[in-house]
Amino acid sequence: MSDTIETPVISAPPLRGKRILVAKPGLDGHDIGAKVIALALRDAGAEVIYTGLRKSPGFIARVAVDEDVDAVGLSILSGSHKELVADAIAALADQGASNIPVFVGGTIPEEDVAMLLALGVTAVFTADMKLDDVVAAVAERLAERLAERQA
Amino acid sequence: MNAALRPAALDRRALGRALSRAADAGLADILSAPPREERHVARRIGVTGPPGAGKSTLIAALARFRLSRASRVAIVAIDPTSPKTRGSILGDRIRMDGLVDDPRVFIRSLASRGATDGLADNLPEILSVFDDYGFDEIILETVGVGQSEFAVRELVDVELLVLTPGAGDQIQAMKAGILETADIYVVNKADQPEARRVEAELKATLTLTAGAGPVPPVVLVRADAGENIAALDAAIEAATMRIAGDPESQRRRRARQRIKGIFWRRLAQTIEDLPQAAFDQSLPELYATVLTDLKKAATGRGRTIT
Ligand code: B12
Ligand SMILES: Nc1nc2c(ncn2[C@@H]2O[C@H](COP(=O)(O)OP(=O)(O)OP(=O)(O)O)[C@@H](O)[C@H]2O)c(=O)[nH]1
Ligand SMILES: [Mg+2]
Repeated sequence: MSDTIETPVISAPPLRGKRILVAKPGLDGHDIGAKVIALALRDAGAEVIYTGLRKSPGFIARVAVDEDVDAVGLSILSGSHKELVADAIAALADQGASNIPVFVGGTIPEEDVAMLLALGVTAVFTADMKLDDVVAAVAERLAERLAERQA
Repeated sequence: MNAALRPAALDRRALGRALSRAADAGLADILSAPPREERHVARRIGVTGPPGAGKSTLIAALARFRLSRASRVAIVAIDPTSPKTRGSILGDRIRMDGLVDDPRVFIRSLASRGATDGLADNLPEILSVFDDYGFDEIILETVGVGQSEFAVRELVDVELLVLTPGAGDQIQAMKAGILETADIYVVNKADQPEARRVEAELKATLTLTAGAGPVPPVVLVRADAGENIAALDAAIEAATMRIAGDPESQRRRRARQRIKGIFWRRLAQTIEDLPQAAFDQSLPELYATVLTDLKKAATGRGRTIT
């Protein structure tokens, strides 16, 4: 057997047992990306809740708290990501859930990424990234956080 | 457990976490938990029926009526786990958006995980968390079931079966005595042309199968427009009155369901853990092996593991 061919390894799905909220804050109606990502996370083993369009930051935080999710993913293509992300993070803190990590995806210009990270976002994803890489990055960040908490 | 007791404000974060702990608990955790003392018990309404019948939409409409009687209502909605990826899309609560801003309502979505009976792993444990937090009522939505699953019966006080026009198969099944566990039959989508016919057919079938006994109510509703939900609410109230008179049988039913759930998982695990060679035995030998392993599991764990 050639050593370039890898034997398939049967491994646990990377997000098995994780609960993730995919949310669409604000007024834009672009939901393809949110749905694509929800399905990709599910296929990686996650239990995914999708809020549907046009939800307020307070609504999103309420769902995140009641469902006790391991992560909140915000999908924003409206250009208003600065305000929406700041408000969502404030709403989570307000409802006692500042320790839930927040991911952001959508049309986020390169130059805004640092600003979002400074607001407390764990990672930012855009359409030019491969879906598998996005999912792997989410899984990795959640595993890191779990390790940190157990240390 | 330091439960947030009524009428103190509900600590949603703490409740959310407690529900996760209950959902993720292993068998050893469950068996070693201290016995629960007598306490407040929430009334449980189960809503079952085929996929797309309108269970979630109906629960959203019904919860508004139940809130006029209950000060705190929980909704627990189960969606299937994919056996292949173990992932799940929990999509029921999207029909209940209008309830999210109501502080008296708590909606929790569950994936069925290992359960194959239309319910979810650890469901009895999960539901009793709501008792600890002073809820008056729990409305439980099962996975959209086919015709064979009625495990929910033992877990709830009142069971609703939601059918729709085009549910000819379900009525056939009822004639065969498969679906006779519900307390209340709901025909949803009253706006569709066949609804009245389905209602009539259902009533006739139920009258036939009831024999001399009481015929369970059939309520025709339109969940998406909130039509005739008051009649359903009244039927639920009448059904729970009967149960309120018999707390003993309710308690026994719940105990039976809990022990069944625990054994089901233990048994599945025991068989999973058997070495390959065990399956070379004859069937009676294999049976004896499983029994022995089950006994070992029962005495070898508990108390010391938390
Ligand atoms: C398709 C599309 C539409 C469709 C939307 C259909 C639908 N139901 O979604 C229609 C035609 C309706 C539409 C309308 C409009 N659109 Co439009 N639309 C697009 C377009 C071409 C593609 C968006 C898309 O679906 N991409 C495919 C998905 C898979 O990619 P994605 O959403 O980026 O998601 C990926 C990643 O970002 C990431 N991701 C996304 N969310 C999340 C969440 C998490 C948790 C994670 C981990 C990852 C993640 O993973 C995904 C998969 O790789 C974009 C341009 C572009 N190239 O982005 C414009 C764009 C988004 N639209 C735009 C605009 C302005 C509009 C309109 C206002 C008017 C107009 N000019 O067309 C209307 C308003 C609609 C509304 N109600 O809000 C602008 C937004 C400008 C801005 N951000 O400042 C864009 C950027 C076009 C542009 N360059 O001007 N649009
Ligand atoms: N015409 C009509 N449609 C309805 C009615 N009630 C619900 N629906 C629609 O039926 C579809 C399914 O409704 P759900 O409430 O999601 O059904 P469900 O039984 O919870 O579905 P699963 O959880 O997937 O099994 C949705 O598109 C609803 O809008 C009704 O009274 N009339
Ligand atoms: Mg549903």
